[in-house]
Amino acid sequence: MQRDKFYQEIENRTHPNEKLIKTHCSYCGMQCGMHLRVNTATNKIIGVEPRYDWPVTAGKMCPKGVTAYQQTNHKDRLLKPLIRDDASLKGTKKGFREASWDEAYDVIAKNFKQQQEKYGKDSLAVFSGVSMTNEKCYLTGKFARVALGTRYIDYNGRFCMSSAAGGFLRSFGVDRGSTLPWTDIHETDCLFIAGSNTAECHPTSMFRIWNVQERGGYIIVVDPRETPIARRADLHLDLKPGTDLALANGITNLLIQNGYADEDFIKKHTNGFEETKELVKEFTLAYTSEVTGVNQEKIIRAAEIYGKSPNAVVMFARGIEQQHKGVDNVSAYTNMALITGKIGRPKSGVATFTGQGNGQGGREHGQKSDLLPGYRKITNPKHVEEVCHVWGIKQEEMPGPGVSAYEMFELMDQKVIRGLYLLCSNPAVSAPNLNFVRQAMKKLDFMVCSDFYLSESAEFADVVLPAVTWAEDEGTVTNLEGRIIKINKAQEPLGDSKPDWQMQVELAERLGKGKYFSHLKTAKAVAEEFRLASKGGNADYFGATWDKIDRQDGVFWPCKDENDQGTPHMFLDKKFYHPDGRAKICALPYRPPAEEPDDAYPLRLTTGRVVYHYLSGNQTRRIEFLRDMCPEPFVEVHPQTAKIYNIAHEEEVRLFTRRGEGKFKVKITEAIRKDTVFVPYHFGHDESINLLTIAALDPISRMPEFKACAAQMEKL
Amino acid sequence: MKKRLYIELENCIGCRSCLAACTQCGGHEERNRNYVYDVNPLVNRQTMPLMCLHCVNPACARSCPAQAIQVHETGAVLSALVEKCIGCQNCTIACPYGIPKFDTEQNLMYKCDLCIDRTKDGIPPMCASVCPTNTLQWLTDEEIANRKKQFNMDNGKWISSMPYLEGETNVKVNLPGILQGITKLF
Ligand code: SF4
Ligand code: SF4
Ligand code: SF4
Repeated sequence: MQRDKFYQEIENRTHPNEKLIKTHCSYCGMQCGMHLRVNTATNKIIGVEPRYDWPVTAGKMCPKGVTAYQQTNHKDRLLKPLIRDDASLKGTKKGFREASWDEAYDVIAKNFKQQQEKYGKDSLAVFSGVSMTNEKCYLTGKFARVALGTRYIDYNGRFCMSSAAGGFLRSFGVDRGSTLPWTDIHETDCLFIAGSNTAECHPTSMFRIWNVQERGGYIIVVDPRETPIARRADLHLDLKPGTDLALANGITNLLIQNGYADEDFIKKHTNGFEETKELVKEFTLAYTSEVTGVNQEKIIRAAEIYGKSPNAVVMFARGIEQQHKGVDNVSAYTNMALITGKIGRPKSGVATFTGQGNGQGGREHGQKSDLLPGYRKITNPKHVEEVCHVWGIKQEEMPGPGVSAYEMFELMDQKVIRGLYLLCSNPAVSAPNLNFVRQAMKKLDFMVCSDFYLSESAEFADVVLPAVTWAEDEGTVTNLEGRIIKINKAQEPLGDSKPDWQMQVELAERLGKGKYFSHLKTAKAVAEEFRLASKGGNADYFGATWDKIDRQDGVFWPCKDENDQGTPHMFLDKKFYHPDGRAKICALPYRPPAEEPDDAYPLRLTTGRVVYHYLSGNQTRRIEFLRDMCPEPFVEVHPQTAKIYNIAHEEEVRLFTRRGEGKFKVKITEAIRKDTVFVPYHFGHDESINLLTIAALDPISRMPEFKACAAQMEKL
Repeated sequence: MKKRLYIELENCIGCRSCLAACTQCGGHEERNRNYVYDVNPLVNRQTMPLMCLHCVNPACARSCPAQAIQVHETGAVLSALVEKCIGCQNCTIACPYGIPKFDTEQNLMYKCDLCIDRTKDGIPPMCASVCPTNTLQWLTDEEIANRKKQFNMDNGKWISSMPYLEGETNVKVNLPGILQGITKLF
């Protein structure tokens, strides 16, 4: 239990006829603690009350969190299964009729069976998400492999955390998003933050971050935009989108040249230093500055501050990860910590700002095309054996590895994948190159979508299943620190809606696989099996019982058994997870973005979030307060660029790339590079900026390059 | 111990969580009562909250011909009493910051009451509870004095705090520039 100076002993206000249910926000990886206010007469959620005693966020919430409760009893909730008989209406909201669960299950079971008999097991795919509990994520992986027997399962973390995962695995041999608890953040001396619009995307980190400056410490921000955090940073490195690898190498070179390398640490605990030292020599100040567009003085100063800091934390987010070299970017920034030995001790380390609520836990337990519970590999026979033992299947029954999220759409286009079960995700907005993705979804013979609202992706489905919101079920989530926390149920499911785990158990029974699923009658039962399945893996949750989570204000994995209190700080013993116990310093040659600007497309387009919306906006666009604050996308343009294009604030432009186009209102601001334009991605149909983005995938993480492509615009 | 609302403008990131939270205090009919402004639109992303400062001698209450605006014993300047407010909007004009809002349908003024339902029992108001950046805080006078001392700077260039802007207020404010006075660690 970390109680720090921000911890407040405050009694909550309870109104008459209300009770408070302790839980966490449904949205981002911060997983801010909150209470839901429940009316004791109607048993309905009616509001929110801060959770002052939650050690990470001390009652604080961003506007998404404050209004999150409005999702549950929202007028747009799906209350019954929907079936669409006329397939020609796919891609629209039209033609759905309400049906019973029995009928919906029958239609699904019949179609799945027929299709798999005709085209093979692997003609069916599962596309999932990580804005749901570990229990649901775990069961989805099992459902795909055991109930459907398909190799094709992947999830929306490929558009979010997969590069961080790939980079950490390569550098440390283990992928825990943060090597230290968030309660350390304000106590460090320097935060080096690359590609994170922290103030908008993880707002409740900000009181700790500002405190570093109040103590006289430094904040260095790397971002093509002067985001709210960059505005106040001591140093803002305003690089060209997609050039992070050069910057990281350049700074690493300076750290070595200027004597900030910790030779003892390097010798004892790492591999790869010599090659890296050689490689980064190429990244002279002049070259680095030329590639990145960042002023030389700033690069020198950044290296000096980070190098001198007694303690420092390197942090990053999607800005560096959503590139076709995202994994290299992660390892390259991680190099800074490894070379200076600023890791494996309190107040120093490396962390990524996890995007989705369960972006950490959800990627560890078998929703990824090549992973099994406990971060096991599906290509490792020993790992497969361990999981088969828990699941009660034979090793030869375990399907092989599939393909990544975006590649599944390619297989749909090729008619290799003909059926899809989509849950907890809205790729019709969040995937790149949407014209292609949407037509691939249209080609499916049969598609099921589970959601609690009719999302843009549900518009492509034949059957839509009404899921519950987070507040109508219980389970665990792993926040951005790697802390396993508990989500509690505040209300019974609205209408006929059900939690996804229950749908999967009932569907498995219809598919004749009941013996592997029927014992899972509660979320708790799924949790028990899931802990067992993770036991012995790198991400070991076995000791993280719900009791312990409650008692300790969360449990950091790995947590191996009853007596293990979990692991807030990673690598305190300087043991990394590679077989020889050493971390890897990586020599990484620079590659430019997949699509560089040219005469026809001279601008760099980058995308991201605003504080009022979450992911594809399927949830937040329906919340009145949030929609009022940001009702539509916009394109941010520097005034000098606007002048060249002869456009004024709030005028409309047609923005286009080689893949697609859209109309956007212009927002003039000096807080962006002159060669770059920015559009937030939370919007559907014609308003999706992902119609324009490029599907250049990282060779390791298969992360698309959302953050950089070449674009052009014209005044309308 | 008595606590006050304390505002550090430099910290604001413009998330407007304070506005969203304002609707969540039981007594607010789910309408927010304060403001967040872009300080330099078209230039940068600096924002600032504009909250009722709960003046010691409130112009809004003084200007009210119907005595609809009461001052609570804690010093909080309350929203107009429904039965007294005549909808003249004098208060909005009188307030140096234009804080009181007006509901044309009900012909009724409504304003920040410092979540009196909470603060009368020492529970922080909703805005200061949720503000993710500690722009809005709920502190004792001693804590406020410490913060002012920490940010004090006598370099003649920057003023980070003034005794008050327009008359004495119960809410205390630190203007942007607080970091100018900080000594760096190294
Ligand atoms: S969206 Fe994230 S930062 Fe905002 S309240 Fe929810 S968990 Fe906290
Ligand atoms: S909640 Fe705090 S940071 Fe957000 S707008 Fe209000 S004052 Fe500013
Ligand atoms: S700030 Fe305005 S509304 Fe608030 S007490 Fe003073 S005069 Fe009245």
